Amino acid sequence: MAAGVKVLERKKRTLAEASYVPEIAKGLGKTMGRFFKNTFGPEEKKEIATVCYPEEKREYPPRFRGIHRLTQRADGSPRCVACLCCSTACPAQCIHIEPAEYEPDDPRYGYERYPAKFIIDELRCIFCGYCVEACPCDAIRMDTGMHMPPSTERGHFLYGKEVLLNLPGRDGTYLSGNPRHEPGDPTHPGVTREQGH
Amino acid sequence: MDISGHILAALLKILFIIAVVVGAFAPMLVWAERRQSAMIQDRVGPRRAHIPLPRGVVGLFRASLKPMEAGVFLSFFAAGLAILTLVLMGLFGIETVAGQDAETFYLAVIGFGIAGVLLRLGHKLHKGIVDSGGKLALLGLLHPAADAVKMIFKEDFTPPKADKFLFSIAPIITVIPAIISFAVIPFADTLYLEYWDQVVPRDGEIIATAVPMQVASLNVGILFIFAAAGTGVIGAAVGGYASDNKFSLMGGIRAASQMVSYEVALGLTIVPCFMIYDSLRLEDMAAWQHEHGWWGFFIPPLTIASILYLFAAIAETKRIPFDVPEGESELVGGYLTEYSGMKFGMFFTGEFIEVVVLAALAVVLFFGGWDVPFLYRSGFDLPGTWELTVPMTEWVITDQFLLQHWAVLLIQVLFFLFKVVVLMWLQLMIRWTLPRFRYDQLMQLCWKGLLPLSLINILVTGILVLLWT
Amino acid sequence: MPTFKLNGQEIPFEPGDTIIRAAWRQGIEIPHYCWHPGLSIAANCRMCLVHVTSGRQMAMPVLRWDEKKKEYVPDTKPKLVPACQTGAQADMEVDSVGPEVQQAQAHVQEFLLLNHPVDCPICDQAGECKLQDYYEEHQHTLKRKRTEPVHKPKGVRFGPTIVYDAERCIMCTRCIRVCDELVGDHVLDMRERGNRNEIVLAPGRELDHRYTLMTEHVCPVGALTSRDFRFKARVWFLKTVDGICTGCATGCNSHVDFDPRYGKVYRLRPRDNEQVNGFWMCDDGMMTYQEAHEHRVVTAVDGRGEDAEKLLQEEATEELAARLKGLDAGSLAVVLSAHHASEDNFVLAEVAKALGVKHVYLAAREAEDIGWEGDDILRHADPNPNRAGATAVAEALLGEAPGDLEDLVGDVLAGQVKSVLALGAIGGEKEGSLDALKNLADVIVLTANEGPLPSVASLTVPVASWAEMFGTFRNAKGLDQHFVRAIPSPEGIEPAWKTLVAAAQELGLEGIAYARTGEVRTAMNDAAAPAAGDEAQASAPA
Repeated sequence: MAAGVKVLERKKRTLAEASYVPEIAKGLGKTMGRFFKNTFGPEEKKEIATVCYPEEKREYPPRFRGIHRLTQRADGSPRCVACLCCSTACPAQCIHIEPAEYEPDDPRYGYERYPAKFIIDELRCIFCGYCVEACPCDAIRMDTGMHMPPSTERGHFLYGKEVLLNLPGRDGTYLSGNPRHEPGDPTHPGVTREQGH
Repeated sequence: MDISGHILAALLKILFIIAVVVGAFAPMLVWAERRQSAMIQDRVGPRRAHIPLPRGVVGLFRASLKPMEAGVFLSFFAAGLAILTLVLMGLFGIETVAGQDAETFYLAVIGFGIAGVLLRLGHKLHKGIVDSGGKLALLGLLHPAADAVKMIFKEDFTPPKADKFLFSIAPIITVIPAIISFAVIPFADTLYLEYWDQVVPRDGEIIATAVPMQVASLNVGILFIFAAAGTGVIGAAVGGYASDNKFSLMGGIRAASQMVSYEVALGLTIVPCFMIYDSLRLEDMAAWQHEHGWWGFFIPPLTIASILYLFAAIAETKRIPFDVPEGESELVGGYLTEYSGMKFGMFFTGEFIEVVVLAALAVVLFFGGWDVPFLYRSGFDLPGTWELTVPMTEWVITDQFLLQHWAVLLIQVLFFLFKVVVLMWLQLMIRWTLPRFRYDQLMQLCWKGLLPLSLINILVTGILVLLWT
Repeated sequence: MPTFKLNGQEIPFEPGDTIIRAAWRQGIEIPHYCWHPGLSIAANCRMCLVHVTSGRQMAMPVLRWDEKKKEYVPDTKPKLVPACQTGAQADMEVDSVGPEVQQAQAHVQEFLLLNHPVDCPICDQAGECKLQDYYEEHQHTLKRKRTEPVHKPKGVRFGPTIVYDAERCIMCTRCIRVCDELVGDHVLDMRERGNRNEIVLAPGRELDHRYTLMTEHVCPVGALTSRDFRFKARVWFLKTVDGICTGCATGCNSHVDFDPRYGKVYRLRPRDNEQVNGFWMCDDGMMTYQEAHEHRVVTAVDGRGEDAEKLLQEEATEELAARLKGLDAGSLAVVLSAHHASEDNFVLAEVAKALGVKHVYLAAREAEDIGWEGDDILRHADPNPNRAGATAVAEALLGEAPGDLEDLVGDVLAGQVKSVLALGAIGGEKEGSLDALKNLADVIVLTANEGPLPSVASLTVPVASWAEMFGTFRNAKGLDQHFVRAIPSPEGIEPAWKTLVAAAQELGLEGIAYARTGEVRTAMNDAAAPAAGDEAQASAPA
């Protein structure tokens, strides 16, 4: 016998066990007890693990990754700067962004760019959350707590910029929790040397 | 009674049986199997099927909630008030209050009490409907109905190379014998037509038109049931053979061998019944238990026989833990693999009807059939001899409580059905408790377990019967 | 050749070489920003500091922070020298990886990033930025500066092609030196000092000479960005193959940057080749990548004007063969293209030979027609990438130099040519110069782009552009240069030589059966064997 092998005595079955009857009765007691507890028992002792889904919903854990949203600045413009970090990180390659530049008279000109198109194929998305991890601006979040509404149209799952911008977070806000130090911000000293240091 | 009367009576009884078994018990079993098993397994189970109520009706229900709450309160308050009045009257010996005597107040307590309970139930029902947004789900009872509708409208698929005729007829072969078995099961004492609204004397011969409360009173009785149930084997075997599927065939073969084996055991387990009851007629067995005041279950040899019978019966219905012919883990769906739609539904219903038949048979054999404790054909006769006078009234309650013949029969029928339900429920619970046997274990249990045990039981019973007589 | 030791390795050098150049020749990189092999030495970034361990050592007194005493203590450190400015000497010993050097590199990096905005997410250079690379390699410390960085102008338009961002600029002056030394146009300079330093334009000027994109090309950071490429793509998505510029007969070597996901070419970058273009390309050449996508012909068209009918690609090949079958070889003109690869021209010439065609011409752009001007730097006076190759093919196979398009028009008017089989989109850019061809019933043009020739065609068959095929261009110096396929063709479209091979097989012409570019090249080399002496394979240095 190889080392480390412990031989256990095989337990002999008692007559009661061998005849099955008491054991079956015990099992029946267990089953029935469970049935009565879950059916007629007091609400707090029930151990029903499932819910009738669309009518009743479970609360998701705080870090649940739902459909994406794009956070807004205070003025409603997208916080996203179209850096494509999310689409780079995306293992499903479901994010399509076309960057564009602000007009030269815009205070953000030179400092920021913005997504002219921002499309997420939610069907292709695997909800891994890498895009959120990759975003340097806290512009994309998955804190909506929502699923994709089902549809029979493939096109309905291509979420564009406007849709994503107008999805609120679970706390109802459209903003991000991490404001940036950026032009237009009172703490920002200005854009050019002429505007003073 | 002439021939047409007999035919009419037989038709009525058949209708009753079919209504109870197919119309009530089979759906109830489906419901119980789905819903209660869910509760056992900590799930809510299927209860989604519902009838959406129109918004106006829901509005009415909602509007009725407040008045009903008030009604409940008022009813119980009035009942309480009446009880208080009665107590005060008893304490201080007051004859009448506000011109009403104690009897009125007793009636008031009962009336208001019943009204309060009914209102409370109604309130609960209405509240449930309102809370669910106007969905009448009836605890999920509509789900079997939805299942049935689904099965009926589902595609009736026949495998291309299957034997079309046999494939189609197999479910029918399964269902019909199961229903036919009911023909010999008595569900109440004999009905004496002329006495239907009178009290039948407790003892003595009764000269009247007797209608046995069973479809067919056969002298072979129980053997008929075995014959019919034995036909069920053919359904499963033929279905498995005709499906043109090796899993189905394997399932059919297993079903055939299993059912034939357990048929033997099943027959032998209940031989002690014949020996003790001294008859093959089921109505005689029930009557024997009624007359002796002992249910078969409480006679020692029959106790053992009843347990053995239960094993054999569950195996005979091919249900868990004896469902090797279906055996999903090995045979996909066994002989049911290729069946869908209502053909599958008929197998399914047939299985449940068999559950009802075997439960009913067990009730007749071991649990007194239609016998209700202390209920005789003249009415209740509780133990002892005593009288009780309700205080402050002239109402007297005695140990004798005479009932008209129809009421006695009704109570017997209901109690019989109640016993059947309890036994069915027991079978369901066993189904949800035990894991499946392996095929060789199944056969061992039959040939090495049940069969010798029941033979020994027969021997012992024979000795006892000899000693006793 | 004399040698010196760099980190224990013998490095040969030519007299006059600096340490960094000698190492660069050997493929060893000493970190640097301001040094560029094609430019003069500025030695202002201090990133290439190395330690010369041989010879007399100079020590600098410094104060070093003592972690135990919690105070600065006097110490010394060796004096380092910039590798870009220090001449290599025989038996010199240089250390470029020692702890002193590493410390110096980390400190230089930290200084360069002191006022950097770190806006990599919106910077086009991200992914090919020296600041990012060297941060990862040589710095790896957190920023210690806690105050607001100096802000400088961003998004300044230097001209039609270049945008400048002063905050990202590290003042390496490479762009100034490109303008000065490559172009000879001192349009850029620096102003202010220290951290207010910035690059400015000469007053009243724009950055608008012919090599503006080279300033962006040499910029090691994201300070100068090309307006054409700006925000179009992320460089880490791009793949690169070797290409040859089709702008002129110089045949500058290029990197073709394309996104394999979308099959789209985004830009060209100069590929170093001292034999041809050194390190540079001109703006017009850099923009030739647009030929791969703009004004593409992707559908075969049968007929002219309102009778035109679109054909499927396989129908087009059949139609091509059917038309050729019905034509009289004596009056058929075959037009080679100075804009298509030698392989295409070779197979076309073979078809012409097999058919017994007598009239052969060469379609080429004329510099004055398209406003092209050559210069002494890179731009050749001839704006066709493969005139030499096409001519050589015609001479080798048909024994005569092809005529030009004016000859073709003349022969058409004279009635000698009654049908045309032409390759390519270019040629005849002068308004109305090809009108005579409009009257011919059969003008078959195999082309990748729209142009003057396809506009007079009665049957247009789309073929692969240079970005979609392997091929060879022979430049003005007679150098055959191969280019590599970057992107797949649109569905069904094949290179012109393949389309012609299919048509030739349909026609039953013998000897024209190639399946791969290599087979065509072998046949081409065999045909040109007598003249192979002046042919040399170009190979770019790594």
